[in-house]
Amino acid sequence: MKLSVHYNKASIIITVSVLFVGAIIYFFTINYIARKQLDLNLIEEIDGIRDYVRVNNKLPKQVDFDEDLVIFIKTDKQKFDKRFFDTIYNNPKEKKKEEGRGVMSIITLNGNNYLTTLIVSRADTEYLVQIIGLITLCLSIGLLLTLFITNRYILNGLWKPFYKTLAELKSFNISDDKSLNLKSTKVDEFNELNDTVQLMSLNVKKDFQNLKEFTENASHEMQTPLAVITSKLDTLIQDETLKTDQYEQINDIYAATNKLSRLNQSLLLLVKIENNLIADVELLRLDILIDEKIKQFYELTNDKQIKVEAHLAAKEISASKYLIDILLNNLFSNAIRHNISGGELIIILTSDNLLFKNDGLPQILDRNNMFDRFKKGSKSDGTGLGLALVKNICTLNNWTISYFSETSFHVFKIEF
Amino acid sequence: MKLLVIEDEQALRENITTYFNEDGNICESSVNLAGAIDKLSSYNYDCVLLDIGLPDGEGFEVLNFLKKAMKDEAVLIISARNSLDDKIKGLNIGADDYLTKPFHLAELKARVASVYRRKAANSNNNIIFNEITINLQGRTVEVNNTPIILTRKEYDMLLYFIANKGKVISKNAIAEHLWGDEMDMHNNFDFIYTHIKNLRKKLLDAQCKDYIGSVYGIGYKFKA
Repeated sequence: MKLSVHYNKASIIITVSVLFVGAIIYFFTINYIARKQLDLNLIEEIDGIRDYVRVNNKLPKQVDFDEDLVIFIKTDKQKFDKRFFDTIYNNPKEKKKEEGRGVMSIITLNGNNYLTTLIVSRADTEYLVQIIGLITLCLSIGLLLTLFITNRYILNGLWKPFYKTLAELKSFNISDDKSLNLKSTKVDEFNELNDTVQLMSLNVKKDFQNLKEFTENASHEMQTPLAVITSKLDTLIQDETLKTDQYEQINDIYAATNKLSRLNQSLLLLVKIENNLIADVELLRLDILIDEKIKQFYELTNDKQIKVEAHLAAKEISASKYLIDILLNNLFSNAIRHNISGGELIIILTSDNLLFKNDGLPQILDRNNMFDRFKKGSKSDGTGLGLALVKNICTLNNWTISYFSETSFHVFKIEF
Repeated sequence: MKLLVIEDEQALRENITTYFNEDGNICESSVNLAGAIDKLSSYNYDCVLLDIGLPDGEGFEVLNFLKKAMKDEAVLIISARNSLDDKIKGLNIGADDYLTKPFHLAELKARVASVYRRKAANSNNNIIFNEITINLQGRTVEVNNTPIILTRKEYDMLLYFIANKGKVISKNAIAEHLWGDEMDMHNNFDFIYTHIKNLRKKLLDAQCKDYIGSVYGIGYKFKA
């Protein structure tokens, strides 16, 4: 849910409940005040009747009281506390019943006590309360609408810098050169956020750059010792007095050195691809390149008696020849290394995708991390960087690579 | 052939000089830029092996110096940096080849021989080794004046062997030379044997002496 919706929801729930509670209190207060006012009027009128009785020495006639209803009943009671009550008022003019308010009191005339009941209509007061209620309701609705619109538009406008920052962050790429484009705003908090984000992104980039430089330097530094080992071995084998088992040991050192140097070169290459340092993009005929690779790998496939089958449609790509070479080398190596003796390798190139299908042991490979660095099968003696390189080269060219198994085949698919 | 090795790593420098000296070449060395320029201004060399990362500066300086002094030494860069930019830069300012560390000494020797041949611009583009004559331009081989037909791999292999005659060459080095070091051989070099067997058979069929010998499963040697 969006922030504005959250805020809207909360503020409207709070406002509505406050208004509701307020309206109830308001209604009762107004009612109470109106009733008090009515009661005061009634007392005044009773006093008026008393004055009239004292001056005129007779009970007033009904006609003297306009629309107010007055009833005198002779009583023996000497004392009667003044009592207010709600009742029905029969409007004589309009011939209808209305809400009324009455008072009972004792009026003394010539020594006789009369229980006097005076009833007035409450319609006017009710009407007033209704009008006030209506106005309050209108105000409330107006307030809610204003709140809603304010929240929706002003809030969105207010948070605009935040969304801009968010969009910038989304497009943030740790490995590209351009820094975040964060404009300063009128809101201090957003400025602070932008500053922090900017600082953080710069730090992250710096760290990433350092890491890459470290990888590159470490790999470079390793090249010379590797060259020393290789040249020492090359010199060592010139000595033909060595025994067979010593030669075997040397062979193993050769193999390990070779692997180390391959690993090193792959690491360097990964850094270079990530740094986008290989920019010799040219137009290439992928089908021709694959055909050449098939010939180049002939010895390896032949050695394992792998049947290579290629269905290549003419396909032109623009990419670095060097990287495509590495991509194909790794796909071929992979398909041969994990193939079974006498197995098949089927390569299908169409204008949309490239498929490498190879026979292999029926095992389920972890699709999620097989393209990660140093993730390899337990039996694989590769560097563990081959597929990571393949993936990076694909990403660099905006291609997607996926793996799936199809009956006995392991399939790598590149979509252009 | 007179060589100058400019390399700061002592072990590597010594190995290169030893490997080259055994063949009747004169191989001198320098550990830094200053010493190298000193030597190059006083003497002439046939080929210079140049490391780019030197303690007192970039090896490119040597190339600039040679260009300014109008000297025509063949230069082969041996660098730890496998960067395309360095390669292009080096080749643009006068280097003849670029070899990335680590490399096999046999590979280095073959490259030096090839660079030297190109630079020397022999009027006859032929390599003659006893009864074997290789025509570099036509990529043809004759044994006792009888042409023999070699595949591309066999031809490359013969050239490689002759450049490293008298040396034991590891299968590793041969594979890297013939198939490139980017190709992962899975440490299985058995298929090299087929090519060597065929090459040897073709040479023997043409009444060539049996030069190619196997050395304890580690590699091969072209007997001088």
